[in-house]
Amino acid sequence: MSKRILVVEDQEDNRRIVRDLLNSAGFELIEAVTGEEGVQLAEENVPDVILMDIQMPVLDGYEATRRIKASAKCRHIPIIVITSYALSGDAAKAMAAGADAYVAKPFSPRELLAKIRQFTS
Amino acid sequence: MTSLASRPKPASLRNLAVGLVARAPASVQTKLLVAFLTIVGLLIALGGAGLIALSGINDRTDELIRLQRKIAAYRQVQHDTTGQLYGISTALLFADERMLDAALRQLNQFGYDLDRLEYVAKDEATLLGEVRQEYGRFIDVVTHVVDLIRSGHVAEARKMQLEQAGPLADRLERLTNQLVNLAESDMVSAIDATERTYRNSRIIVSAFAVGSILLALGLGYIISWSLLGPVTEIGARLRQIAAGDFTQRVRIANRDELSALADDLNRTTKKLGKLYRQLEEASRHKSEFLANTSHELRTPLNAILGYTELIQDGIYGEVPPKIGEVLERVQSNGRHLLGLINDVLDLSKIEAGQLTLTISDYSMREVVQTVAAATESLAAEKNLLLKTEISDNLPAAKGDERRITQALLNLVGNAIKFTEAGEVALKASAQDGAFQLAVADTGPGIAAKDQERIFEEFQQVDSSSTRRKGGTGLGLAISKKIVEMHGGRIWVESELGRGSTFLFTLPVRVEMPVANREKPA
Repeated sequence: MSKRILVVEDQEDNRRIVRDLLNSAGFELIEAVTGEEGVQLAEENVPDVILMDIQMPVLDGYEATRRIKASAKCRHIPIIVITSYALSGDAAKAMAAGADAYVAKPFSPRELLAKIRQFTS
Repeated sequence: MTSLASRPKPASLRNLAVGLVARAPASVQTKLLVAFLTIVGLLIALGGAGLIALSGINDRTDELIRLQRKIAAYRQVQHDTTGQLYGISTALLFADERMLDAALRQLNQFGYDLDRLEYVAKDEATLLGEVRQEYGRFIDVVTHVVDLIRSGHVAEARKMQLEQAGPLADRLERLTNQLVNLAESDMVSAIDATERTYRNSRIIVSAFAVGSILLALGLGYIISWSLLGPVTEIGARLRQIAAGDFTQRVRIANRDELSALADDLNRTTKKLGKLYRQLEEASRHKSEFLANTSHELRTPLNAILGYTELIQDGIYGEVPPKIGEVLERVQSNGRHLLGLINDVLDLSKIEAGQLTLTISDYSMREVVQTVAAATESLAAEKNLLLKTEISDNLPAAKGDERRITQALLNLVGNAIKFTEAGEVALKASAQDGAFQLAVADTGPGIAAKDQERIFEEFQQVDSSSTRRKGGTGLGLAISKKIVEMHGGRIWVESELGRGSTFLFTLPVRVEMPVANREKPA
């Protein structure tokens, strides 16, 4: 059975890159466009890994991460956050919010894939 | 030290005097002139007082000399009278003609003495009249006695000598004694008066001198403080302005050139403060704009780089080798552009004061190893030897690990970029609570005149090398700011043709970041 990945990302291009990458690698993909949708889809589907963008309008990645980690049903799901920029300090904040790992933009699809495999194998 | 309660009094008196002089509506020149003229006037008065005292003492001395002469004359008269009497007695004893002549000559001599007496002792007219009278009688008696001897009546002459000349001589002696006593008592009182005059003069001159010195010192003190106070105040304001504080104003009591200077300074400060605020605002706008723009630029660039990598990895189908080559170029140019954008964002954040250090424990050894690992492939591409030398005794460190890594990465990246052959050596050691990191290369070296400039934004030694070597010219500026925010220091040691060594020191444990003191230009 293929692993299911939830992608929470407001930007179409980034979603598409992740989608193309993960589909070709044989993962099943669930897509959320906003933070709220991400939290809701996590509850409904309980995916194997969540990819969370930090910079999103209304409900940002930190808060979405906090909410998912607060849910008993989803607490165990590894969350990989995509921070805006390696040196911006976002990573430390994301880890504090409960994230399990982070990838800094510009993320290389190869690196991202390697990170996801760490949590799915 | 006197009691505490009495201390504020002289200080307030001083302040009152200084304040009074300061508030006087006269120019500094006039104040100085008045002070100097006052002092000169005091000196002249002191000289005058001295002269008067001297001439008083001189008068007293003249008086003493006069009395001295008087006493000498009186004594001469006394001596001559006695001599006279003795001469005549002898002449009577031997009845010798020669001796009689001598006695008469002495009598004439006595006349001269009397004349001199009259000259020096004009004051004692009564006493002198008596002397003259007695003397007249004495001459008559002596002349008679001599006549008697010559005519052979020796016994009669002796009788007359005993009965008349003797008592007359005694009386004369008594009178002259009286004169001498009078003169001597005059002398004593004159000496007393001289001493008194001298004492008084000494007191007057000393008082004048002490008074003048105190007054001159006081004037000097008050004038100099009335000038120094405002100058110190203005100096302090200027230092505050230099430190970027434009809110303070100079307030001084003076109404002279210094108050004009203070007014000018206040006006200038106000204008400068306004300009400074405008400049600060403009600079903040610029930094915010740059930060926003950089972020906006990065988003599409991320997508371009992501898609390119997916194509390269064959996710959208097999890629012909020729297209693969071009994609490689797209990828490397894209990464370069991203580097530029990131540098601009970093620098604008630092300049806007928005960059904060994330302080935590870290290992300097790991930082150096990370940097070496990240740059190894770059060095290998250019056939450069990358050496690392890490001291064994590096202590546990505290600071912003990521920023320090970035600073070191910039230096090593630059060294590799500018070195065509040879090696790049990365050394880390610790001494006296500070790390010292050195990145030495065998590149072209940097001329002394460029060594300061390269740490400024957008400066490379030669602008053509920017295009040739790539890079923004921001790396060193960013490294410098990061090092300085940690309280460290960065510099370069280099010589044209002999390679360069970039060095920086970093406190081992940084608890609080050093405030970003760089003011926007």
